[in-house]
Amino acid sequence: MAGALAKRCVTPLVLVNRRISAPEFRAQCGYHEKVVQHYENPRNVGSLDKKARNVGTGLVGAPACGDVMKLQIMVDDEGKIMDARFKTFGCGSAIASSSLATEWMKGKSIDDALLIRNTDIAKELHLPPVKLHCSMLAEDAIKAALADYRLKQQDDQQEAIVATN
Amino acid sequence: MFSRCSLRTLLGAGALSRRRSATDGTAAYRRHGDATERRWACALGVAALRGYSAAPADSSCWKCRRPLEGVPAFFCSVCEVVQPPDDAASYFQILGCDRAFTLDTQKLQQKYLQLQRKLHPDNFSRKSAEEQEYSEHHSALLNRAYRTLLKPLSRGLYMLELEGVAIEDGTDSGADPELLMELMDVNEALDEAQTSEEADGIGRNTKARLTELTEQIDAALRQGELGAAKALLVQMKYFANIEDKVKEKLSELL
Repeated sequence: MAGALAKRCVTPLVLVNRRISAPEFRAQCGYHEKVVQHYENPRNVGSLDKKARNVGTGLVGAPACGDVMKLQIMVDDEGKIMDARFKTFGCGSAIASSSLATEWMKGKSIDDALLIRNTDIAKELHLPPVKLHCSMLAEDAIKAALADYRLKQQDDQQEAIVATN
Repeated sequence: MFSRCSLRTLLGAGALSRRRSATDGTAAYRRHGDATERRWACALGVAALRGYSAAPADSSCWKCRRPLEGVPAFFCSVCEVVQPPDDAASYFQILGCDRAFTLDTQKLQQKYLQLQRKLHPDNFSRKSAEEQEYSEHHSALLNRAYRTLLKPLSRGLYMLELEGVAIEDGTDSGADPELLMELMDVNEALDEAQTSEEADGIGRNTKARLTELTEQIDAALRQGELGAAKALLVQMKYFANIEDKVKEKLSELL
């Protein structure tokens, strides 16, 4: 089932380990339904052009478990996040946390996106205590992406100032 | 877990508090299992938190009261009765190895098997309940010690733990961005691999990287550079995860 599913789906779904079926996964790992939903149907998996001026990239790692997470945002001229993508290599909770983060970020302004807390993510996904650090990782990835975008805007502004002088 | 469950039942039943209360009024029982060792004082004696290097205070046989020899002392040298596990002993001491990162895993396995032959509960089926209990604890502890020392990653992390250095549970704020990008690239490449050859190639590179890291960690630990060792062990964790994913990918591609 896993193999068939993998072949049917586009690259995004290959990201997650498909060796076991959903009911087995749920039973074996004790993940909450919401985490499984994100695992089975991750939203917004992919990449944006990190060289683009309106794209912010956040890249974070969790040393204890060895998870890596990349979160990217594309911001329009009004400062609103029009697209968000992620790629996470790690456990189901980490994948779900970053998937949820990208869902929440879309349509928000930069300042509103900064308000997203790991506790909100953990609550939404019903993460157990041992997996709280996954939501923390997602929050850090959000902040890193936003910071990267802001830095790019500052650089652009400085360039513009230099050009006019 | 095994030893904890058993001890908890014993504590609940009050069995532990009844024993060893006669001579010096102290009955100290130890729960082994975590990096932080705690001694449970059941009677008047109060125990302090104990580090791995301290010698056991209760170094006398619980049965014949003669002094025990060796760290750890599995059996009494006089009456030959099995002793409770020594919480002060590190995994290295338990398995009779030098406390070093370089380890002969074959010798480790031999020692492990030798000790299991002596201490396994199967050998104690006709002994007293107390001896059976101790044997169970020893066996579980031996398994834990062996598993930890067998692989370089867990061994290195354990060595750091012994020095009081732990890897935090959160994001690594001081992480090298280039390392993270490299990890992303390798993970993505593995994910997108269509053939076993591709996956194998990544597997070989990862293995080479892990070998290199093992050497670097060895050097860092020898020189007592705990910070450097920690950073390298973190890298090893990331690449060990990739190695696991390579195995999964290869079985998927079959």
